Amino acid sequence: MKKMFVVCMVLAVVAGTLFAGGATETAGATYPNGPATIICPYSAGGGSDSVSRALAAAMKVDFPAGIAVENRTGGAGSVGMSYGMHSKPNGQIITMVAPELVMLPHTGTGGDIDYKKFIPLAIVNSGYAAITVSADSPYKTLEDLLVAAKTKDLQFGNSGIGSIWHLAGAGLEQAAGVEFTHVPFDGSSAAITSLLGNHLDGVSVSYAEVASQVEAGALRTLAVLAPNRLSDYPDVPTAGELGYDVVIGTWRGYCVPVGTPQATVDFLTASIMKAVKTDTFIKFMKNTNNDIEVIGTAAFAEKLQREDEFYAKLIEKIGLAQ
Amino acid sequence: MIVEAFRLVFEPSVLLFIVLGVASGICIGCLPGLTTTMGVALVLPLTFGMDATHSILLLIGVYVGAVYGGSIAAILLNTPGTPASAATALDGYKMASKGEAGRALGISTSSSFIGGMISCVYLILISPILAKFALKFSAPEFFMLAVFGLCIISSISGKSMMKGLISGALGILLATIGIDSITGSMRFTFNNMNLFSGINFIPVMIGLFAMSQAFIGVEEMKQKTVVARAITHVFPKRSDWGMIVKSGFVYGTMGTLIGCIPGVGADIASFIAYGQAKSFSKHPELFGTGLPEAIAAPEAANNGVTGGALIPMLTLGVPGDAVAAIMIGALMVQGLQPGPLLFQNNGPIVYALFIGCFIANICMFVLGLNSVRLFAKVLSVPKSILVPTIFLLCFVGSYALNNSIFDVAVMLFFGIVGYFLQKTEVSSSPVILGLILGPMAESNFRRALLMSKGDYSTFISTGISITFFVLIIISLALPLFQKKFLKRQI
Repeated sequence: MKKMFVVCMVLAVVAGTLFAGGATETAGATYPNGPATIICPYSAGGGSDSVSRALAAAMKVDFPAGIAVENRTGGAGSVGMSYGMHSKPNGQIITMVAPELVMLPHTGTGGDIDYKKFIPLAIVNSGYAAITVSADSPYKTLEDLLVAAKTKDLQFGNSGIGSIWHLAGAGLEQAAGVEFTHVPFDGSSAAITSLLGNHLDGVSVSYAEVASQVEAGALRTLAVLAPNRLSDYPDVPTAGELGYDVVIGTWRGYCVPVGTPQATVDFLTASIMKAVKTDTFIKFMKNTNNDIEVIGTAAFAEKLQREDEFYAKLIEKIGLAQ
Repeated sequence: MIVEAFRLVFEPSVLLFIVLGVASGICIGCLPGLTTTMGVALVLPLTFGMDATHSILLLIGVYVGAVYGGSIAAILLNTPGTPASAATALDGYKMASKGEAGRALGISTSSSFIGGMISCVYLILISPILAKFALKFSAPEFFMLAVFGLCIISSISGKSMMKGLISGALGILLATIGIDSITGSMRFTFNNMNLFSGINFIPVMIGLFAMSQAFIGVEEMKQKTVVARAITHVFPKRSDWGMIVKSGFVYGTMGTLIGCIPGVGADIASFIAYGQAKSFSKHPELFGTGLPEAIAAPEAANNGVTGGALIPMLTLGVPGDAVAAIMIGALMVQGLQPGPLLFQNNGPIVYALFIGCFIANICMFVLGLNSVRLFAKVLSVPKSILVPTIFLLCFVGSYALNNSIFDVAVMLFFGIVGYFLQKTEVSSSPVILGLILGPMAESNFRRALLMSKGDYSTFISTGISITFFVLIIISLALPLFQKKFLKRQI
């Protein structure tokens, strides 16, 4: 009995890995003529992965043959994005993209990724940087912090060199004309942990990542680098309101490679737009502290171009350009 | 509240989920290439439709099962199923090749059980204190911990220290591949995108251990299996129990302490436990020959990590290791916010989680002991069937990790390297240790200097880092004294 179970488990694992990405060659007249795959360039179990899985679950009604998520990680997302960029433009491979698509090429760490080789479908979610300090920090407002930064060496933790939250800290620096010591960590949670242990003066990671600590009274967010105040946390001012014109945040969007037929692009966009309005998706996003911000094809394309220019300049200024 | 927690857990379907979780965890852990983190990540999407208790206890079951399951393959095939059992392979496989596979598996099962139970007790009783301790760790402390871990190379080098140091240095060198974590410049990447984030150490491990073992298996294919070994002492002998309980307590505690430090996981804990067991042993020279305490120490420590890793997650809302990070995601999907407010807002769930941890460990013990005979059958499988199966699993495992053919190539390359290492009697374990600890030592060394503005005294400026400094000196000096002492006795 137990032997059977083990044999079945082993077979299931082997079969699962063999056939997971397999049957993509089914031919048919109209899209979707087979199963579709969302490539998530970040690891299983993380935020990008779970948002993509929730989206895939909500899109399932439009894909009778199924829609799955496949993780292809490495190089801060460049490996997965490059894989999706080079896939056949038949709508069967959809790629999740993030600001790294327009950041990494400027730091020379993006391999061959190029946002111009993608057709953007839609952005489903965004999260803006939050300038956060420890609850017992002497800095009560952003002004306090920036004044202190003129005379003192303030250490700011981020999620890695050249990462979006490093650029967020650097963006504020540029806007306010001060200098921080940027301390790169291996991911946001390591930086937050270090701040909780009072080893840093602040962090510049996303609000979603510090929200639970702020609610519990362990950390304090001084400002968000967002265009508007966050609807769930209206007490926190934006940097713009305080006179520092800087908006930096991450987002999760979905793309297909250039060359994909227009009908397929329209179908996918409509499917995503429908999926983000389902109750299960909305509830999932609320529970996981992910703000839904839907941006359609045209605005997404503009955003890519605008951010590409913005990050090119910022990365150049802070000396990370290659 | 506790009554409600019991009501939540002792529902037949919840208990069934724990059993299922542990059983699939053991299978996942057994298979090289399917790591604990990956197992939990694979199960995560299945929990989206469940309620909170079912979901979190299923994941805990998988976690506990997988950390233990890795030791089965390590002992029987000299192929650690997960990095956390790489230290167990050192003596476990030796004991199994002496015909005592049953005893080795029994020791690993019972010390895993005790280590796991101890960590649950700490989790329930003193997690706020341990969480405070964990927060004291900053870059200098992490660096000292990593260096302390690297000292273990001296314990796992096998016969020749020089060869051990060479292979440890190889591991650290391999760890420098990728984007520099502090300055962002490229190192040894040859413009290959797959190398940007460094070499993934799982394919390296599969290659060095499993693949190279399979190559050697090919050589021995024609030889008949020498003895049809009887599997005895699956339930440890009375004479072993004293040692198991002692190791369980000591190294289970150590595992919990290491587990609660964010970013340090079961792999590091088991190596450190092995090294410590050797330093404080009365006969360190017998380590590496199949010593019972050399199996008990790493196994107690790696299961001790399971409870420890949950401590910062439940009390602070920060992950203790990669698995806890996924569990935080799972809790959030359920609408629960891990962190300081979890106890106040969702008390029953937290208590249910505590009770579930105990049940998962008991379940692992019962399932483990009962399936040992089944797993040990692997030893009587003819080489002509076993070896091709291992080849297949190596390929599948290294591909499945990240759907990457590049990883398969890495695995194959290190399979060949590992074969020659074995032929020249160089231990492969220091390579793995170097790969795991190298990046931790390097990035924290530089981060510490960045934060202290280049002041080296930062490394001995706090109680914790001084303690590590002393421990490093002791663990390096102790073997020298022991040698002198032994000589005098003779």
